[in-house]
Amino acid sequence: MRPTMDTQQATTSDPRLPALEFQNVAKSFGAVNVIRGVDLQVREGEFVVFVGPSGCGKSTLLRMISGLEDVTSGTVSIGERVVNDVPPARRGVAMVFQSYALYPHLTVAQNMGFGLKVRKMPAREIESRVADASATLKLDALLDRFPRELSGGQRQRVAIGRAIVGNPRIFLFDEPLSNLDAELRVHMRAEIAQLHERLGNTMIYVTHDQIEAMTLADRIVVLRDGQIEQVGSPQELYLRPDNLFVAQFIGSPRMNVFDIDKLPPGVAAQLGVPEGAVKVGMRPEDLSIDPGGRGMPAVLRMSEYTGGNSLIHLELDGGAPCLIVHHGQTSPPEGTAVHLTLDKGAVHFFDANDTSIRKG
Amino acid sequence: MNPTETAAAQMVHKGPSHKRIRLITRVCWTSALLVVAVPFVFPFLWMVSSSLKSAAEIFGAPSLIPDRFLWSNFVEVFNYQPFARHYFNSIYISLSVTGLTLIIASLAGYALARMRFAGAGLIMLFLVSGLMVPEEVTIIPNFFLVRWLGLMDTHAPLILLPTFGSHGVMATFLMRQYFVALPKELEEAGTMDGLSRLGVWWKIALPMSRPALGAVAIITFLFSWNLFLEPLVFLSSLEKFTLPLSLANFTDAYGMPLWHLQLAATTLAVVPVLTIYVLAQRQIIESFALSGVKG
Repeated sequence: MRPTMDTQQATTSDPRLPALEFQNVAKSFGAVNVIRGVDLQVREGEFVVFVGPSGCGKSTLLRMISGLEDVTSGTVSIGERVVNDVPPARRGVAMVFQSYALYPHLTVAQNMGFGLKVRKMPAREIESRVADASATLKLDALLDRFPRELSGGQRQRVAIGRAIVGNPRIFLFDEPLSNLDAELRVHMRAEIAQLHERLGNTMIYVTHDQIEAMTLADRIVVLRDGQIEQVGSPQELYLRPDNLFVAQFIGSPRMNVFDIDKLPPGVAAQLGVPEGAVKVGMRPEDLSIDPGGRGMPAVLRMSEYTGGNSLIHLELDGGAPCLIVHHGQTSPPEGTAVHLTLDKGAVHFFDANDTSIRKG
Repeated sequence: MNPTETAAAQMVHKGPSHKRIRLITRVCWTSALLVVAVPFVFPFLWMVSSSLKSAAEIFGAPSLIPDRFLWSNFVEVFNYQPFARHYFNSIYISLSVTGLTLIIASLAGYALARMRFAGAGLIMLFLVSGLMVPEEVTIIPNFFLVRWLGLMDTHAPLILLPTFGSHGVMATFLMRQYFVALPKELEEAGTMDGLSRLGVWWKIALPMSRPALGAVAIITFLFSWNLFLEPLVFLSSLEKFTLPLSLANFTDAYGMPLWHLQLAATTLAVVPVLTIYVLAQRQIIESFALSGVKG
């Protein structure tokens, strides 16, 4: 195979260097600071997910990697190269857009081969790469169709195929599943995970769906207001969140957070509150109704049956609302006074600045 | 008969009468539209009919069907003055204006829709405000400009003025409106694929704008084809005339119209326009929709 610019980049890269590095990167649109000093290293072959609420800057960060957005200050490096001023097509990255961005006037095969044609690759080479990618993505039978003749899932696969044929060093996914229905989303999520396993390329994935983030990522980058709140594996973020924002953002349903001074009498003592803690967090799945009547007193207000379990909304003594995941097919009726127990190891404490306090 | 059967029977009974009502409605609508169409269609039929009559018969006999079909009128048209030359002039000028307008309007429209540069909004406002100035107001300054450029009695002003004048602005505005509505992600995908800004315009924005390009092409061709004031002001040599001037030139020694020749020539002159209209009715209608609120 005649090496293209992209493949050369991929083959000559030093595996010891990070595939991608942000150094104090900032981005402003006029007076609005969208990204405020981001430092991050992504290892070669890693699947990193940027997650955060709307407007947190995750898509902007991705677009800065792609080159579709300029960097206001700081440096973005891909491998050994600072790419701040390198045009998008020469960065060795490929992007899968939220709306798929397939060219409506071109067939599937033409869409997939378009970038290679622009780079003046020989027609035979383009054909072979498109054939390989379409076989990988089971698109063989659709090569002569136009995007309008495809279903949502098929379009998504073509968009991924278009990224694959360029053999990029880094794949960028900008909320690629958000236009699909729930069932297809789960299916495509699995396909993307398998693709990563098979290709082994570095992948950066943007989503606001934390389930997608948890299931796909080697590491998750949680963003808020243009800054990184925490970087870590899904387990790290779930079990040891650095602050209240991450604690509540990761995990579904959201973590319950209570002011310690408003907890029912005696509960704080039982929890062993560390010095400086003002809030305590308990995940709904770590709380349970104690059949023996021990633990935090509460009153059941509402129950939502979801099949395998129920989401029970309670009110603690003192009025604080609390949600628990109740396993089993039946739950007590509304108005029932219950007691909640929790796994002590699963309690999270936060100081006045919402920073986690780790015990011991 | 149980209630379900009764309802079913009623539905079966209802079917044909419902169809009949629809048919009657349709016939009524069609008749009404035919009546409304008469004032539009009649002049055309009168023109075609008169083009086959003698000069005396045109106003003498009220019938639309000529006593004798004078096909010789069409031959006479070409003998009376260099009509074929005029026809060719109109075709090549209209095609040149259309081609140039498409290139300039799509480039300028794309720049105004997509490129961020200082004063873009102001330029657009300035251009669009130019549309408000009637052609009759600009003809005198244009006359001086053309004379100063030494382009009198040439076809250049007939190509340049519509291309860069108010019609060109209108075309630019139409293209801009269309480009604004195109998904940006497609162009970004093109950039990721290695296209330059011009490449994105050529390979992505333009192929996706075929409806707008078609509409602009049709409007521009018709505009240029029908242009009368500018040729009248700028042309003096007979062989340089365009069709609208040529049509006005079928007169006798006293300057009175030779109706039979003028109408035969007009019938020939509308052929390209009618052909375009029949082939691209949808795009002409879309072109009006395009300049609306979209974007």
